[in-house]
Amino acid sequence: MEIARKFKNMFSTVPMLGWLLGIFTAVLIEYYWGYDYISYYLGLPKIPVLFGTLIMLKDPMMIPGVIGYDLIVYGIPILLIAKASNFFTNPVAAFLEKTPLWLSAMIHLIFFYGVLHLWAGINDYRVLVVKLTLISIILTISINVINGYQGEFSCSHPGFMAIGAYVSSIITLYFFVADKTFGAAVLSPALGPWLFPFALLAGGIAASLGSLLVAIPSFRTRGDYLAIISLAFMFIIKSAIENLNVIGGARGMGGQPDYAPLPIIFIWTMLCIWVVHNFVTSIMGKALNAVRDDEAASESMTVKTRKTKMTAFMFGAFWAGIAGGLFAHVLAYINPGMFSINRLAEILAMVYFGGLNSIIGSIVGAVTINVLGEALRPLELFKWIIIPLILILVMIFRPYGLISFKEINAKRLLRAKHKREQGA
Amino acid sequence: MKKLACLVVVAFAFAMVFSPSAFSARKTIIKIGINAPMTGDIPKVGEGSKYAAMLWLEDIEKAGGLEVGGKKYEVELVIEDNESKAESAVKANTKMITQDDVLAIIGPQSSKQAVPAGEVANKYKTVMISPWSTNPATTLDRPYVFRGCFLDPFQGPVIANFITDEFGFTKAAVLYDVASDYPKGLAEVFKAAWEKKHGAGSVVAYQSFTTKDTDFSSQLTQIVRSGAEVLFTPQYYNEVPLIVRQAKELGWKGPIVGSDSWGSAETVELCGEACYGLYFSSHYAAAGAKGATKAFIDRYTDNYGYIPDDVAALTWDALRLAQQAIQDAGKLTGKIEKDRAAVKDALTNIKNFSGITGNMTFTPEGDPIKCAVIVKINDSGEYEFYKSSCP
Repeated sequence: MEIARKFKNMFSTVPMLGWLLGIFTAVLIEYYWGYDYISYYLGLPKIPVLFGTLIMLKDPMMIPGVIGYDLIVYGIPILLIAKASNFFTNPVAAFLEKTPLWLSAMIHLIFFYGVLHLWAGINDYRVLVVKLTLISIILTISINVINGYQGEFSCSHPGFMAIGAYVSSIITLYFFVADKTFGAAVLSPALGPWLFPFALLAGGIAASLGSLLVAIPSFRTRGDYLAIISLAFMFIIKSAIENLNVIGGARGMGGQPDYAPLPIIFIWTMLCIWVVHNFVTSIMGKALNAVRDDEAASESMTVKTRKTKMTAFMFGAFWAGIAGGLFAHVLAYINPGMFSINRLAEILAMVYFGGLNSIIGSIVGAVTINVLGEALRPLELFKWIIIPLILILVMIFRPYGLISFKEINAKRLLRAKHKREQGA
Repeated sequence: MKKLACLVVVAFAFAMVFSPSAFSARKTIIKIGINAPMTGDIPKVGEGSKYAAMLWLEDIEKAGGLEVGGKKYEVELVIEDNESKAESAVKANTKMITQDDVLAIIGPQSSKQAVPAGEVANKYKTVMISPWSTNPATTLDRPYVFRGCFLDPFQGPVIANFITDEFGFTKAAVLYDVASDYPKGLAEVFKAAWEKKHGAGSVVAYQSFTTKDTDFSSQLTQIVRSGAEVLFTPQYYNEVPLIVRQAKELGWKGPIVGSDSWGSAETVELCGEACYGLYFSSHYAAAGAKGATKAFIDRYTDNYGYIPDDVAALTWDALRLAQQAIQDAGKLTGKIEKDRAAVKDALTNIKNFSGITGNMTFTPEGDPIKCAVIVKINDSGEYEFYKSSCP
């Protein structure tokens, strides 16, 4: 405990910029020396892809090598550089603090993306995992608007995702790709990547219109009834697509062009975080919380409850549609079976694990469940015992999720950390 | 602070010293990836694939490695679980190709995973052989993707012809799962083939249900009433027993015919005597098998305690095909991209490969031309060879 406190004290003066710089150095080390020197001398077959968890679980003999690798490449450089660069990262952070917040946040984000891109670029498997994790973040945040901020229990998220995925796929396949279902491309394929955001938006809008179908009949009820109606909606969407042979039916729809590289998905994720953050901290967001806590009371305090709930529901569905569109273009194949009860369980696990009513919680939940799901892959069946067990423990000790009812404070997160702020 | 530094150094020293393979040189190992559903909806399929692969590896290890161009190489299997999910199959393929540097991939088995996973394999120019996927889209326009089984457009007419020749019926009923890719596709093909033979309207009942349904009484009642003489149901082992029993309870007297999805060892186990005497089309028949097929079946039964189903046999063939292709490639350069391309070229050129599920020659699409087998479930619940039908 003593060590942990000392440790924490020692690094309390490192600003976000310092950490980023540390990670950047670590990634550079991995990039230049990871394969040829470090992993070679430690007897590892290749650069351990997810911090070595995969090889460790497959071959316990590799554990020392992996620990050594993680320490040399990540642990030591990050800590050293973060601490040693204090003398100039703090003044830079202090300078950025004086600039408008958006500019400072933007600079940090660009730096962060650069590091992420470099790290993921070492191996395409990492790229895929990062892509799917970012999409999960959008999904989790969007369901948090409904299940967290609005306090309902909606189960139709996979349905919204399916609508978004299918609508945007139909648009890109119809306009930009020559395929069997829709024939030759209507527009020049070169325009595709530029018009892709519109296809995504169309998917999102279609999803939010679809959500009206749930919202109109069901918002006269609350709680369990909404859960049942929204669950039914999910199955309706799934069966509808299965029976629509024009779009492939149960066989699914494939061949979506690769319009969703990592930077595009990153931009959409950041956009989602920013927009949802603004939404939930706006008057509408406060009204939403009021409706959740006591609908009658907020009604009497002039909150238009029906309109508030509808807007939030459509807003959540919109982002689920966007996530669905991105998902379809990452996998380049979708079928209705993907958007079923399994997906729902996954989304709900992420949001309730991470924490209700909190964007940062959603990010933590999505990243944890995704990375854990990948890292424990070699355990096969035991993976499905470990992850639920963790979920149960979280539910027992933190019923609202790991980090609930907390908002991101970008200013606090990015500020310089001088000695004076260390406290006692 | 000092303590911390000490701790780090000690941990580090430990790591270096006890790392067993520290400072060892990297050598060329032939890695074969297996992308199978070890968990999820159909774990039995994953288990069969894994066991077949382990038997194959045993053979290779007994021989002291795989000989390519006069040099013996160590072979390693990379078995990845695709959880019976499409995105997981894509992740598994990406991981095996970019991280494990596999030379070829066997799997995924179901079409819903094989279609997207094939996209990945083709993108990274790695040979993928799906032993069991029957969807034409799996190999379509993908030079690096192959399959080990015949396709639905072939299987449908085979069954239609068999029923016509065997029983002389003219009115058929179909019961299938509309939500699942394979049954739906095959039901359509069968309907088209049947109607071509006996005229429009000869499929007198064309009934569907949805995955995970367990009560088929309303569909079956309509089928019984429609006056159909034979029922065709291309379902999986979890549904077949329910359908067969419920049909008999509702007074269905005619034969029930199935497709290769019946071939799992579980079908008879769950169905019992109700299924005796029924027919289905398949890739191979276990009872009464001869030669290499029998040897494989016996070995598998000895090792794992049950008769291998068609997935295991097809996986075995796919592995043997991959092995043949690697050996035909001549020599391994150690440069994985080059070797993968060489394996692909070798695989396209394989002629009349004799597998335990029949002889195979690949079309330019990567689909094999091979025979189908009509299997009868005999009175002791074994899958008995009845007839074979070649293209």
